[in-house]
Amino acid sequence: MATGVLEGAALAGRGVDRAYAKDLFRRFVEHRDPALREELVGVHLPLVEYLARRFRNRGEPLEDLVQVGTIGLLKAIDRFDLDREVEFSTYATPTIVGELKRHFRDKGWAVRVPRRLQELNLSLNKVVAELSQEVGRSPTIAEIASKVHLTEEEVLEGLDTSNAYAVVSLDAPAGGDDTPSVSEHIGVEDESLEALEYRAALGPLIAGLPERERRILYLRFFGGMTQSQIAARLGISQMHVSRLLNRTLAALRAGLLADEETE
Amino acid sequence: MPTSTVHLEIPASGAYLSVARAAATGLAAQLQFTYEEIDDLRIAVDEACTQLLARRGSATTLRVDYHLADTELRVDVSIEAPDRGDPLAKDTFAWQILTAITDEVSERAESDRLALSFRKVGSRA
Repeated sequence: MATGVLEGAALAGRGVDRAYAKDLFRRFVEHRDPALREELVGVHLPLVEYLARRFRNRGEPLEDLVQVGTIGLLKAIDRFDLDREVEFSTYATPTIVGELKRHFRDKGWAVRVPRRLQELNLSLNKVVAELSQEVGRSPTIAEIASKVHLTEEEVLEGLDTSNAYAVVSLDAPAGGDDTPSVSEHIGVEDESLEALEYRAALGPLIAGLPERERRILYLRFFGGMTQSQIAARLGISQMHVSRLLNRTLAALRAGLLADEETE
Repeated sequence: MPTSTVHLEIPASGAYLSVARAAATGLAAQLQFTYEEIDDLRIAVDEACTQLLARRGSATTLRVDYHLADTELRVDVSIEAPDRGDPLAKDTFAWQILTAITDEVSERAESDRLALSFRKVGSRA
């Protein structure tokens, strides 16, 4: 029952030195060493990239999709049973694809936004990224407007739409075994975040955030870095940093006004 | 450009925060704020309004005043609060957010109102 996806996945998996990967797995299963886990991620990244590319014409940057797919990869790595007579790439593919699909389902526009505005918002994402490259800083609304041949008013309308997009439930990736830890360790930053948890009594909320979200929170609000600087450091786009930041804050604030619905 | 002010009064409910945000966005665009500065501004408006709404008690409206000068926008958010004299504490995450992304933050407890103000300077004006 070789579907297109599975065939392609097998192809993408072919680049992997299987004996090497198997040995890594054997050691990982035994010691559960995070360093081995990261190595396994690195080895199988081409598979994630291959699968992510299949979703790339849905308006999300490929880099974001690869990150989402990597979460699926991590789940598959953690659950893979060496005794099963199945190649890891075959085993991991449905998990990775499932994660990508869930991403699109979860990130569906939270508010019903007219198609025209969705498209405007998506094209603005691109233009902002391009212009930032061109001028070496974040562009102004006037600059964006002249680039896309729209009025400033229309660009602003698109910006407001981006907020509808940011209203996404945060309850999905809340800590536990599913939280990926691909990035390097962040000792000092963790200490500050602990202080923050203590001070703000936001403990469980912040502790439950995925590591990347916590890190962005720290770098922006304690590290004095701008969104662009954080984006460069984490290798994602500034718009992506903006989305993650807005989403995280919205979730942290949700508790504050939680009583509203019952009023 | 002479200083000008926009007054906004919205119902004291999270559902109207988008209006406060949209106004800030439009005004910041006039001041040639960059996309990133506008994003910071929107976060700050959200944060300040949310903090006051969380202390709204029986208050029914939230007031947001925007003061535009050459290169900066000052936002004053206030809410009626006759008997709750505790403004935003400086050791909270909210305060940390506001000070990190704006140029100046202050809070006041007047006789019957709680107020939070912040100032954001644009780099392009």
